[in-house]
Amino acid sequence: MQNIDVGAVALSVAWLLALYGLVVSLWGGWGRREELVRSGEHALLAMWALVTIATADLVHGLVSRDFNLEYVAQYSSSTLPLHYTVAALWGGQAGSLLFWLLILCSMSAVLVLQNRTANRVLMPFVSATLLGVALFFLSLLNFVTPPFDRLPFTPGEGRDLNPLLQNYWMTIHPPSLYLGYVGCSVPFAFALAALITGRLDDHWIRSTRRWTLFAWFFLSLGNLFGALWAYRVLGWGGYWAWDPVENAALMPWLTCTAFLHSVMIQEKKNMLKVWNMALVILTFLLTIFGTFLTRSGVISSVHSFTQSGLGPFFIAFLLLAAALSVGLLLYRLPLLRSENELDSILSREAAFLVNNLVFVAIAFAVFWGTIFPVISEAVRGVKITVGPPFFNRVNAPLGLLLLFLMGVGPLIAWRRASWSSLRRSFQWPAVVGAGCVAALLAMGVWHAWALVSFSLCAFVTATIVQEFWRGARARQSIVGESFGQALARLVGKNRRRYGGYIVHLGVVLVFLAITGTSAFRIEQQVVVKRGEAFRIGDYQLRFDGVRAWQTDHSAHLAADIAVLRDGRMVDVLHPEKRLYKKPEQPATEVAIRSRWGTDLYVVLGSFDEKSGSATILAYINPLIGMLAWGGLVLAAGTLITIWPQRRARAVESWAAEHRGQRSAEG
Amino acid sequence: MRWLSAALCGVALLVAAPSSYGSARPPSIQDLEESLTCQCGCGLTVHSCNHVDCSSAIPLRKEIREQLEAGKSREQILRHFVEKYGEKILSAPTFQGFNVLAWTTPFLMLALGGLGLVVILRRWGRQERNRSSAGPLESTRSTLVERYQRKLEDELKRFEEV
Repeated sequence: MQNIDVGAVALSVAWLLALYGLVVSLWGGWGRREELVRSGEHALLAMWALVTIATADLVHGLVSRDFNLEYVAQYSSSTLPLHYTVAALWGGQAGSLLFWLLILCSMSAVLVLQNRTANRVLMPFVSATLLGVALFFLSLLNFVTPPFDRLPFTPGEGRDLNPLLQNYWMTIHPPSLYLGYVGCSVPFAFALAALITGRLDDHWIRSTRRWTLFAWFFLSLGNLFGALWAYRVLGWGGYWAWDPVENAALMPWLTCTAFLHSVMIQEKKNMLKVWNMALVILTFLLTIFGTFLTRSGVISSVHSFTQSGLGPFFIAFLLLAAALSVGLLLYRLPLLRSENELDSILSREAAFLVNNLVFVAIAFAVFWGTIFPVISEAVRGVKITVGPPFFNRVNAPLGLLLLFLMGVGPLIAWRRASWSSLRRSFQWPAVVGAGCVAALLAMGVWHAWALVSFSLCAFVTATIVQEFWRGARARQSIVGESFGQALARLVGKNRRRYGGYIVHLGVVLVFLAITGTSAFRIEQQVVVKRGEAFRIGDYQLRFDGVRAWQTDHSAHLAADIAVLRDGRMVDVLHPEKRLYKKPEQPATEVAIRSRWGTDLYVVLGSFDEKSGSATILAYINPLIGMLAWGGLVLAAGTLITIWPQRRARAVESWAAEHRGQRSAEG
Repeated sequence: MRWLSAALCGVALLVAAPSSYGSARPPSIQDLEESLTCQCGCGLTVHSCNHVDCSSAIPLRKEIREQLEAGKSREQILRHFVEKYGEKILSAPTFQGFNVLAWTTPFLMLALGGLGLVVILRRWGRQERNRSSAGPLESTRSTLVERYQRKLEDELKRFEEV
């Protein structure tokens, strides 16, 4: 007998609840009927519980190896290790949509519980928006790709998870990206609610600041994890291929970053209301566009693990969301007119505006390059490729401009900067930047892009160090603390500002990694017999033969490669080739020796039994280690920024901010 | 603001001009391999694709070498590949015809955005100047106003620096 799955039932009831909640939230919001609004919120909470049950049921199916479930048979097998079995939840289409929905519902539930007494005017429309998004995903899960479809027979074994996905990054890269993607719906929901209710002061922005930072944090980490994953697994020596799906994850990050900056102008000076709305809406639409790219297969991609006919649904949802939000924005335009005033072009406001322009320009360039093949085919009927050379060339100058602004922006005074204050701020950083160029030239580095990038990195770092130094010295002289104490207090009292500087330091490290690997990478492809050696950079690599072994899951072939430096053996690397059994698919396992941020990266290309010769690919990736360090620093900075201040202090700083705002306005 | 527009235009020109086109340097294998896309579906360039026994990258690499040995120029070799496999083999759009749009649109948008920004900043700046010059106190007790203004500026600065 076909048993009916708890999860399937839970999903259909959740669909009904989402629809009900959407209707009563809107009704309650417009009719000012609190009991209806509460009822909508309760529907949301119940929906969250049901989606949790459905997810738990699918995970249970996976872990208990219930191969009668089509999803389980498709994306796992009896030999798949437990953690990948759980991760298979987001390894396939239906599961990943369910996982996405679970995150959305969980965030919505937290939001509703947080705002039981706060934001009562906005909340009905916030819940309605989130319920609307949830309803879309629930519709897909109920009517288009049900995760609980059962097969007419029970196969003895599953087809297993794609071997490329069987990597520890699989357990963290998709969840963090999803958290980032879904997190962007919270500010979007608040923005829509503000537009609907006409409460267009910066209240909605203050209510969502932490959520936006939270989403940004996970978007950043998700992208970095993806890069590190690609680097370790795909084995082509690089970490970013400008693949459409990578681009799809980068675009909302760019617009979200722009928003995090421009929002400060609205908080300080009550300007740019329309622009901030537009950025939030754009970010949300880009997250949906990203999911569309991943799921539709319109543009071929390394992420096309799970493509299907979902494209039209996503396009329809995208258009609907775009029409609704843009329509509301236009409708409220008269209310959004703000008192824009600018004291001087030499001010932080102006620097932030240029920063926004560049962020959005990069996002546009990435978007344009991603869809240009489709445009070309539509217009000329000719298929073309827009690959890494295009993106690198277009984005390199924009990225460097951004790096420059990162040094300049935070140090220019609000309102109006005087030439003397500029000199005071930039004297030393400029000297450091110029010194960096001189030092690099003396070391024989003539690569123009690298010179520009490194000197800008030095410049930005100097501005940040100088800020910490001056701030701490000032505290020291006023309060009389020790330098270390003063530094800690300085950061503690201005989490937002100094956390932001630390994030900038992380970004500098990422720039170092990008510059090092794109300008100074060395690569070597050789065919060697046992005992033969070849040179790459400072290293000499000797091929000492291969070993082969089997597990239930896969067949392995590993090479022994001795790493010599100045004639002394310093390491032995074991790059591997694997053949997974179900489905039969080859994979590479690269071997990496990391020293001082520079990687020696070795891939076993192929091995010919008859001649006993191996094809080895070796790369030296200078400064690549800075990518992970940059991620860590960036994460630490974001956590400092996001960490709640103690209540008394928060009130104090709120009051101070308002005083500042009033005097800035008056 | 003028310096900014000029800098943006300069950068745009610098980058949009495809540097390696028609250069006299002898073509390098790596450059050619990076100019062509592997057709196996990996989405990488012929240079980067590392699929074992890749049915596309490996023959293409061989073909590049043959073309080079025949003493052809970079342009001739790329034309050969386009004629044989279609334009999709190139890893980046050419700088001809419709494809020019691929390269120029991002910078055009940046320039337009920059221009818009300049216009808006000027307007806001003017509003501000109008407001301050329209003040009735300005002429009569200008020194006093200035003194207060300076004081306000100082305090604001101190507030922002803490």
